[in-house]
Amino acid sequence: MKEFKPLPDKPAPADVVGVIPWLKDNLFPTPLNSLVTLALLAFFVTVIPPLFDWLFFSANWSGTTQDACTNKDGACWVFVIAWSKQFFYGSYPIEEVWRIHTCLIALVAIIIASFKLHKDLRNKVAIPLFLLLPFFSIVILDGSLIGLAYVSTDYWGGFTLNVMLAAASIIVAFPLSFLWALGRRSDMPFIRSVSVILIEFFRGVPVLALFFMGSVMLPLFFPEGTNVDKLLRVWIVLTLFMSGYMAEVFRGGFQAVPSGQYEAADSLGLSFWQKTLLIVLPQVIKISMPNILATFVMLFKNTTFLLIIGIFEMLSTTQTALANSNWLGGHSTEGYLFVAVVFWICCFSMSMISSSIERKLDTSHRN
Amino acid sequence: MSEKPQVKSSPSFFNNPRNRSLIYQFLLLAGLAYFFYGIINNTLVNMEARGIKSGYDFLFTTAGFDILMSLIPYDATYTYGRTFVVGLLNTILVSTIGIVLATIVGFLMGVAHFSKNWLIRKLAVAYIETFRNIPLLLQIFFWYFAVLATLPGARQSLSIGEAIFLNVRGLYLPGLTAEPGAGFVYAAIGLAFTAIIFLVRWARKRQNDTGQQFPVFLTSLGILVGLPLVALLLSGIPFVWDFPALKGFNFRGGITIIPELMALVLALTVYTGAFIAEAVRAGVQAVPHGQTEAARSLGLKESKIMKLIIVPQAMRVIVPLLNSEYQSLVKNSTLATAIGYPDLFTVFVGTTLNQTGQAIEIVFMTMAVYFVINMSISFVMNRFNASVELAERN
Repeated sequence: MKEFKPLPDKPAPADVVGVIPWLKDNLFPTPLNSLVTLALLAFFVTVIPPLFDWLFFSANWSGTTQDACTNKDGACWVFVIAWSKQFFYGSYPIEEVWRIHTCLIALVAIIIASFKLHKDLRNKVAIPLFLLLPFFSIVILDGSLIGLAYVSTDYWGGFTLNVMLAAASIIVAFPLSFLWALGRRSDMPFIRSVSVILIEFFRGVPVLALFFMGSVMLPLFFPEGTNVDKLLRVWIVLTLFMSGYMAEVFRGGFQAVPSGQYEAADSLGLSFWQKTLLIVLPQVIKISMPNILATFVMLFKNTTFLLIIGIFEMLSTTQTALANSNWLGGHSTEGYLFVAVVFWICCFSMSMISSSIERKLDTSHRN
Repeated sequence: MSEKPQVKSSPSFFNNPRNRSLIYQFLLLAGLAYFFYGIINNTLVNMEARGIKSGYDFLFTTAGFDILMSLIPYDATYTYGRTFVVGLLNTILVSTIGIVLATIVGFLMGVAHFSKNWLIRKLAVAYIETFRNIPLLLQIFFWYFAVLATLPGARQSLSIGEAIFLNVRGLYLPGLTAEPGAGFVYAAIGLAFTAIIFLVRWARKRQNDTGQQFPVFLTSLGILVGLPLVALLLSGIPFVWDFPALKGFNFRGGITIIPELMALVLALTVYTGAFIAEAVRAGVQAVPHGQTEAARSLGLKESKIMKLIIVPQAMRVIVPLLNSEYQSLVKNSTLATAIGYPDLFTVFVGTTLNQTGQAIEIVFMTMAVYFVINMSISFVMNRFNASVELAERN
């Protein structure tokens, strides 16, 4: 019997592979497109070399004062380098910065633990650690409770404050928004309406108005003489704001869990909380993960709004640095560019993670 | 099934779901009542201690401060009520311009994502991923302090044809001044729009009934241009161009757009445009490829495929996303207060609150305004959504 032997594949025709057909297909498919390509290329050629020159080759890198920026045709990165400590840590005493690092390392460690721990331990260990983290951080950063030097919240600031506020808010918002989302699905009319009002209020009002509420109205609500720390009020506001948005994300997640899951849990005789926490919640979190991350990116970007109520987060520190009398040389472009790059790296990597999770979850065979 | 259960199951009082839900709701109600009682009590005590009188009387007292830009007559002798209206109009102005421009930019960039041209595709991706991930406030500052503040002074203004000027004080555009008789032209424009609406309805009905198509687009364009033009000529062109001109240290005449408004609109447009572009991309990608292939095999032209097959299906995904983007644009316009554009927030929550101390009334009024604006957007977009939604046959 003759064995079947396929003939070797013929190579693709020469006019569809290689660089030139690709160029023809992607850059010059039609006369009009060719024109656009040429115009764009001309634009890039005129813009990019001077831009790179300004950014890198002619830029001033070394020095400590404004006078070190001798080359006026280049960016003055000396400004960013000289202020970098303030950009990242605000006015936190520089010999105590290790405390900020401790908190950030703890945050990263818990995030890693929640992915890497054995799944029997994961929920039992990671969740309580997460919930403890904000309070642990406050104790460490404040210092007065554990015998370290006291650092008032007036000195907390910089990019690390943006990160920690965003993290602390989402950690508390997680259980809160879950409760609100549950309430919105509840059969009890009063609980449902309260949840709907809470969610729609915190989603419908500009976050700036909420901050003003926190700084102007909240002091009126507390008994006379109580002085609630400014950062604490901001934390409360950010948490509630985040909860409103996350509750809607969770609601989407709840709807995406097949009703058979609920029914199966009921028929096994699980109680309401067993059903919700053991069967539904894990699936909801998995489904909602991309949206939770997207909401977190929004929250993270919105922490810059704190500038308006006078909290020294990163952008506000930049504004202070730009107004400093030793640096009145018009370094706003450099300053903003640096802040933009820092935020962009964080937000972009989070949206990358979010879309990779989305792709992993997306099992539909489209196209 | 006629057999009755042997043991009559009667759950204990607390295990009865009905009782349980009543108890929970009662507990929540009691908790909330206690909470609000505490807050209101504290607030009253605090307000008394600070000597703040609650109420809306302050709206009728003289404001005594100037506002940088106002669409209606305003100076320091007007009341706080008037400052509210001025701020509200400025907010509506910046939101409207922002929504229109962001939609245009967003749709262009979203469609550019599907261009045949590799460069354009990559440019669209770069635009979306760059501006979506940079905080809006930073972008506002960038346009205001790093771009617009470095423009030349009034004497070295950049100009286009001696009619449009751009300098550090703002953008100066030629304006049209209406003279008596302009009413005819306005009426003609209104008439043209009404005629087009009827024409579109009639054409659709005729196509449904007989299958014959009517060149609606060209006819509408003709009506829209022709009618006002005829009115313009008949009434003797009742408009005069008002060109900005350098007088002393500044430009006079025409329309002035202050740099605060420019920076805010630029930032809102670029930022929201990136989100809308992403929504458009998602919408177009949600249309299965088989739809395009089926349309091609039916022999439709590429332009017809876009108009009749892709866009209507993509809109179902895009419109709800647009709704939330528009709402967040309006909410984000409150950032005006960071650069001093006199929107509702700056004027009312900023200056008026500082001067009067009526925190609760002012914050409440402002929140109510943003609620109403967002509700209206939501209402319009939901109506629009209903018109693009999948018409299911029952």
